Amino acid sequence: MSIKLTVDEKVYSVDVSPDTPLLWVLRDSLNLTGTKFGCGVGQCGACTVLMDEESVRSCATPISTVGNARITTIETKEDKTVHNLQKFWVKEDVVQCGYCQSGQIMNAAGLLKKNPNPNDDEIISAMDGNICRCGTYNKIKTAIKAATKEV
Amino acid sequence: MERRDFLKTTSLTASAFVIGFYIPSKSRAEDTKEVALQPNAFVEINSDNTINFIMGQVEMGQGTYTTLAMCIAEELNVNWEEINFKAATVAPVYNHFYGPLMITGGSSSIVAKQLEMRKIGSALNIMIKEAASKKWKVRAYDVETKDSKVTNKRTKEEFTFGQLVSDLASIKVPKDPKIKNLNDCTIVGKPHSRHPKEAWAKVTGNADFGLDIRVDGLKYAAVLHPTVFGAKVKSFDASNVEKRKGVIKVKQIPTGIAVIADSWYVAKEALNDLKVEWDLGEFSKVNTKSMDEEYSSLMEKDGASMRKDGDSAKAFKEAKKVIELNYNFPFLAHAPMEPLSFAAHHKKGKATLWSTAQSQTLAFAAALKVLGVEASNITYNTPYLGGAFGRRGAINLDFVLEGLFVAKDEGYPILTLWTREDDIKLGSYRPKYKNKVKLALDEHGDITAFDAKVVSQSIFKGSPFEGFGFKDGVDGAQKEGLASHPYSIENHDMQAYITSSPIPVLWWRSVGHTQSAQTVECSIDQAAYYAKKDPIEYRKSMLTNQRFIDLLDDVAKKSNWKNRKKEKNVGYGVAIVESFGSICAQVAKVRVSKDSYKVEKVWCSVDCGFAFNPQNVENQMVGGINFGLATLLSSEITIKDGATIQSNFYDYTVTRISDVPDIEVSIINSGEKIGGIGEPGTPPILAAVPNAIFDATGKLYTSMPIKMG
Repeated sequence: MSIKLTVDEKVYSVDVSPDTPLLWVLRDSLNLTGTKFGCGVGQCGACTVLMDEESVRSCATPISTVGNARITTIETKEDKTVHNLQKFWVKEDVVQCGYCQSGQIMNAAGLLKKNPNPNDDEIISAMDGNICRCGTYNKIKTAIKAATKEV
Repeated sequence: MERRDFLKTTSLTASAFVIGFYIPSKSRAEDTKEVALQPNAFVEINSDNTINFIMGQVEMGQGTYTTLAMCIAEELNVNWEEINFKAATVAPVYNHFYGPLMITGGSSSIVAKQLEMRKIGSALNIMIKEAASKKWKVRAYDVETKDSKVTNKRTKEEFTFGQLVSDLASIKVPKDPKIKNLNDCTIVGKPHSRHPKEAWAKVTGNADFGLDIRVDGLKYAAVLHPTVFGAKVKSFDASNVEKRKGVIKVKQIPTGIAVIADSWYVAKEALNDLKVEWDLGEFSKVNTKSMDEEYSSLMEKDGASMRKDGDSAKAFKEAKKVIELNYNFPFLAHAPMEPLSFAAHHKKGKATLWSTAQSQTLAFAAALKVLGVEASNITYNTPYLGGAFGRRGAINLDFVLEGLFVAKDEGYPILTLWTREDDIKLGSYRPKYKNKVKLALDEHGDITAFDAKVVSQSIFKGSPFEGFGFKDGVDGAQKEGLASHPYSIENHDMQAYITSSPIPVLWWRSVGHTQSAQTVECSIDQAAYYAKKDPIEYRKSMLTNQRFIDLLDDVAKKSNWKNRKKEKNVGYGVAIVESFGSICAQVAKVRVSKDSYKVEKVWCSVDCGFAFNPQNVENQMVGGINFGLATLLSSEITIKDGATIQSNFYDYTVTRISDVPDIEVSIINSGEKIGGIGEPGTPPILAAVPNAIFDATGKLYTSMPIKMG
């Protein structure tokens, strides 16, 4: 079945079964591998993307439910919130293995789009669904706070 | 550095010098933009002045690319921001001092490679200066290098390093290039963030990890595995699978049934239609409880001796107080964020591999064996590793072999990718341990004897690393940190017992210290309590190594230990552990409620001899602490009917952002032998937290994870 979707400002058409999760459309149909697979059941946040302004777990989002929503991934060339977060992620030296960070940044972007000035508790509560096994959480908090000041 | 190590490194470097750089001739570089790499290069300078560092160690988050690049850059004087990284192929020149193989593990990358990298940087810098001075017809000391440029100090003329590429081939490689004293370095020893090229690639989704490989004609495979350890496929029916759209092939491999498809999701979903009859085997009767009983019964007998000195039986007879403690540590999965994968393209006697194995050499050797191709026909690629914590160093090479068996003879590239459930259920766990400790105290509260028993499977026995880690009936991971504890105690009787099961076991960040840190440091804390002494002062009274004493003093000062506020439901605990050549002391502040606890703050003081990149040392300490917290809070693998009960992050739970404490790291550069940094942050927290909960509640939890309810 041919499905149209908009990812990072580009329009694509893919031929996949409608129950295919958005994650696998991004990764295997469109070769947009910046969005990561971590658990497949919406438990770790590695696959987080924005659907319009909302952060969603792409591994648990069937492509049939995307509709006309704009998908923004970590590979976006346009989204200013994402670019600002990326800058502070580098500045605050967050990454270790780096694998979860696409999802961390996209989840933080979803938070800042809704709430440009989150306090510590709001940051922790919004980011609690994103796992980092390297344990970079302390710097994730610092980077989000620093990015908040810039917005 | 010990003399023995120095000689070894020097000879290694000397041989590397001759073949250690790949500098293409000018004409060749003009012919082709892509420079053909020789498998023995460390630094690649191209005529367009791009400079690539070739990394033999893998980058799995530990910061090795950055710190080794700092070592080369310090001496070579290249523009730090502009260097590129390339992962090395498999060649003996990149081997580790552990043995004739490339391997990243044991927190050893900087220890093993820093001197070599600094000397290589220096040698190449000397050669560049010589090449430039020949061109300008001046003495070598009239030229200087900076930011990938060489300058004639008299005339201010400049060459880029790239402009000298064709001249370098005729310059002799210096045999013993001088390197700076560590204290005189301007890059090494200073805090640096992750190299900007690596950091930017990782925050923009441009870094390629193992499962990100995308090449023309790539197909994807998922594998149905037995969940009972040791079970085998008796028969299977794939007729419904082969009908599915996008499925290319169903293939039995030694460890299960693989489905190859156009996309991984199609392959994974198709596994649901496989009908398999399993031969479950004997282990299907086993569960965690029966294993506990087996472990306990083993302890009744005499075990293999790990340490025996003095007369501990006599000391216990004369003791004024005997402390007995029983510790239980469950199996643990590593669960790196990137699920395990392996990609291979095997066609007409040639193979290209994309591997995230921690030992490239072992994966390469597996490919030789499984595919039956010549070594010269294998192209080996190492992408970034999305975490490992030991898992990608799997002794049984499980994910590597599966990728090879799936791709064998298929003629097109195939990425074999595990589900998270595969990762959690298929073993290669930190072993389950059951430990018993007995301490004898005299009338002053001093420890006169330390007896211990440790029961577990062996990580090393029967593996290619047996000579390295198994001796006289004792597994290295049972013994490390326990038999070698730092305290002056006169009598010991420590015994080990090896069990076996079809569950594969493996090193897990900080290996044996994951059990011995608590076994030693919680037990010592209990002795301090019964002796009515301050836990830090009590430890110091038994320590002779000044580095330990300095670290305890430092962590006491930073945490304001002596004047810590007495608060209801709040406790403070301390622990100090030497591991991987470094010593780390931590104080944890914990707040307990009725059925749970929260670690609010951790002070960490570490001495790794010399911190090559203090900022990375701090990051690794913080990461190591947060990694350890998971095992105190909730992570455990348990067995029912021979299979792992847990499946994914909803029941194998790990540290999340709401769990992490505020962490302060203090680094002491003692100038002693250089130690590792990837693992030593983990062991102390494992004991400091239970000690803090004891301080708050009067109860020492000795079974992990801590269940307070």
